[in-house]
Amino acid sequence: MTGKRQAPPEKIRIEGDRKTAIEMGRNRLMVAGALFTAAFTVIGIRVIDVSVFSENTEPRYTRSIAKDEKHNGRADIVDRNGVLMATSLSTASLFANPRLVLDPEQAALKLATALPDIDVKVIEKKLRSNRGFVWLKRHLTPRQQYAVNRLGIPALNFQREARRMYPMGSLAAHALGFTDIDNKGLTGIERYFDKELRTRQDNMALSIDVRVQHVLEHELGVAMKKFSAIGAAGLVMDVTTGEVVAMSSLPSFDPNQPNAIAQDLRFNRTTLGVYEMGSTFKIFTTAMALDAGTVSLHGGYDATNPIRVARFTIRDFHAKKRWLSVPEIFMYSSNIGTVKMALDVGIPGHRNFLTTIGMMKPVAIELSETGSPLSPNRWREINSMTISFGHGLAVSPLHLVAGVSAMVNGGIYRTPTLIRRNPSETPVGKRVITAETSAKMRRLMRLVVKNGTGRNAAAPGYLVGGKTGTAEKVSGRGYKKKALISSFVAAFPMHKPRYVVLAMLDEAKGTKETFGYATGGWVAAPVVGAVVRRIAPVLGMRPIKETDPVRETLSIEISGKSARERRVATH
Amino acid sequence: MHGFAPSQRLSLGRKILQINWGLVLLITATAAVGIAMLYSAANGSWNPWATRQIARYGVGLVILITIALVDIRFWYRYAYLIYGILLVMLIAVEVVGSVGMGAQRWINLGVIKLQPSELMKVGIALALARYFHGVSAEDVRRIPYLLAPILMIGAPSALVLKQPDLGTALFLIMTGGAVFFVAGVRLWKFGLVFAAAGAAVPIAWSMLRPYQQKRIFTFLDPETDPLGAGYHILQSKIALGSGGLFGKGFMQGSQSHLNFLPEKQTDFIFTMLAEEFGMVGGLVLLGLYMLIMVYGFAISLRSRTHFGRLLAMGITSMLFLYVFINIAMVMGLIPVVGVPLPLISYGGTAMLTLMIGMGFLICTYIHRDVTISRHGGGDG
Repeated sequence: MTGKRQAPPEKIRIEGDRKTAIEMGRNRLMVAGALFTAAFTVIGIRVIDVSVFSENTEPRYTRSIAKDEKHNGRADIVDRNGVLMATSLSTASLFANPRLVLDPEQAALKLATALPDIDVKVIEKKLRSNRGFVWLKRHLTPRQQYAVNRLGIPALNFQREARRMYPMGSLAAHALGFTDIDNKGLTGIERYFDKELRTRQDNMALSIDVRVQHVLEHELGVAMKKFSAIGAAGLVMDVTTGEVVAMSSLPSFDPNQPNAIAQDLRFNRTTLGVYEMGSTFKIFTTAMALDAGTVSLHGGYDATNPIRVARFTIRDFHAKKRWLSVPEIFMYSSNIGTVKMALDVGIPGHRNFLTTIGMMKPVAIELSETGSPLSPNRWREINSMTISFGHGLAVSPLHLVAGVSAMVNGGIYRTPTLIRRNPSETPVGKRVITAETSAKMRRLMRLVVKNGTGRNAAAPGYLVGGKTGTAEKVSGRGYKKKALISSFVAAFPMHKPRYVVLAMLDEAKGTKETFGYATGGWVAAPVVGAVVRRIAPVLGMRPIKETDPVRETLSIEISGKSARERRVATH
Repeated sequence: MHGFAPSQRLSLGRKILQINWGLVLLITATAAVGIAMLYSAANGSWNPWATRQIARYGVGLVILITIALVDIRFWYRYAYLIYGILLVMLIAVEVVGSVGMGAQRWINLGVIKLQPSELMKVGIALALARYFHGVSAEDVRRIPYLLAPILMIGAPSALVLKQPDLGTALFLIMTGGAVFFVAGVRLWKFGLVFAAAGAAVPIAWSMLRPYQQKRIFTFLDPETDPLGAGYHILQSKIALGSGGLFGKGFMQGSQSHLNFLPEKQTDFIFTMLAEEFGMVGGLVLLGLYMLIMVYGFAISLRSRTHFGRLLAMGITSMLFLYVFINIAMVMGLIPVVGVPLPLISYGGTAMLTLMIGMGFLICTYIHRDVTISRHGGGDG
């Protein structure tokens, strides 16, 4: 009871203490409440943000995946429709620091269990060397890398590398080219654009269409086998833009196996190979003569007798031994008539014409493998005569295709390209013949397929027109009778050409079905026909009906009475 | 004077009347949303999730009311004991716990698998409330008085961290921190802790398991690994984004129903809700939580005992952390940590923890005018 007196101050102190405690507790509660409210406001705003204002839709992420994967050392190459043709994959390469290897023999034996294809001796020797760095094996598969890691050998390490892969295998191998083990472009586009491919971030789109490319390679391959040819070349070019849609040189190679590519397989027959093209050159001679006005479609020349010049005799393969109109000369591929056409134009005119259509210098396409034409040093009459029917001037198949494009597309020469051109970027080109001459050439070329040597190239509904060519290969000083370059160059649809197609077989041999013939009309024309039949629907072209009036515009008077009368009149 | 003063004894009938039925209604409404979402997650089936969730809610409600009706002085008296039992259970998990989901978190009681680390969230609130109740406002400012409560937080956190469950460990620390804050620990001490935590980040980083480090990297840029570690969060964002203003409609969420979204019934259920009910649905749910927390604050403010105030605040903080961490996680504001959405996500222990916590909250409300002296007895 005595303690009761001291109690009040104690109690007051506690009371006061409690009061401040309660006070502070309340304040702190308020602060906490405010903080919680703020936090809830933040997530509330975020809910509004992500559900109403976000653009998190599926495509955005698929795009960003693709974007991330591009930083792999070398840009991808795609075809004109975006189909992947060349890409880089991340791989691991195994290297070692030999100075840190404890037991080289043991290490090499162990490695051989993980990598059975290595040479134990070679590896051991490498591991014994005194250097600080040796490659043991490049581009391991993930499984191999795992196996090597499991061995637990110190001093081994992996270098992340990129390996060039060509998902399409050998398709368009010559156009694409390939890279060496260090990802350096060795041939083709890979070489020509080596620097650019290393630096650019986006895909490089080629003008190639893998669908067309596949058809061309397939048909050429079939023909090559059938006629036991040693090689083949083919091109498809868009005459309106100059884009090469397909480029094939056979035999081909697999760019995924750079070590296994024999030197001669790398040879690109379409651009690096130069050949005397034979009769396909008559397209240029005829167009030149018509454009120069030295002869008209109704005119003609006497092809009764062979022409003898110095030690040469120029005769016709399908000799008619009579006067021939220009359409007949073209249709029957008369050498005599063509020579006379060229002589009427004259040597300087002939040379200038061939120069303007690019036959005197390498084609400026995006490849390092471009061949220089072989032209005579001194252009004499005999040169003009032989060149008129495709001998004495050797050009690459790409030269021919680019030239023929200009002959059929209305007369505009455009430099061929392997890079996709946007429709708005189509170059203006260079006028080389008049639109009228071009229209005449279309009718003449159509005639060859309709009634002449190129009937095997017909593709119903697609109005193919073309010209055969058969040239004997040069061997030493003379020509080899049995070694032929057989070709067919065509355009379609002839009323409004869009594509030029070339098929060429090297040293084709005749078969029973071709009655032993290995000429362009028998071995190359069917390839073109098959290619057109297969690619035209893929390229979205509709067949032209039999009754369609555009067919009329292609009709041509072969040798009317009027022509005969004129001949009588002139002689 | 020891024992309960007669004036502070409430009859059972009065107590039942005193139960904060508005709060119970809010809790039930939230749980109902969860059950609906689980029904939808199973493509319109009560099995396997919705029925079990209803059963758990029922059990939880019984526990909630039981806890609420028990005198708060009883809970005060046995707060340390409960905490101690939970701590022993946490240690038991270390020793005998069965391994589930890659982390050792469960203790198998035969009938149910218990996650003591979840229950510990309530345990810490109880123990700290009791401790700070007995410490004067002046003593709170003295560092020696803080050592014991820091240990109270530190011991279970360390055990949970060892499981390893970084998310729950941080959760425990933050719940405890909230109680510290309301108890009146000086602000500069919090600053000190934050500074120390910041300094410890590099050390902690090296101690994290690779999968944890990857989660943080993925959080920083989920698009680096959209098919691997970033998959979850990206799919979640797509789902949230596709919900729009009003959502695609109940059971129409393609992200969740076509199984693009893993764990849709547990931690990522909010995503599904937002996809099916849109921004409006998400905000309504946030509103429900907000209201429950307002109740929590009101109860805390209204409580005459320091113990009740701190306990209510601890529980409210716990609810806040659950909701905030979960929703911020699914929306990519913070890294992915395994924190369920309270009352909504499928899972027994989380539901139980929440209902127990809410039970203590209502208990505090019923006994708001009860006083407990600093040393434990009823007073004045």
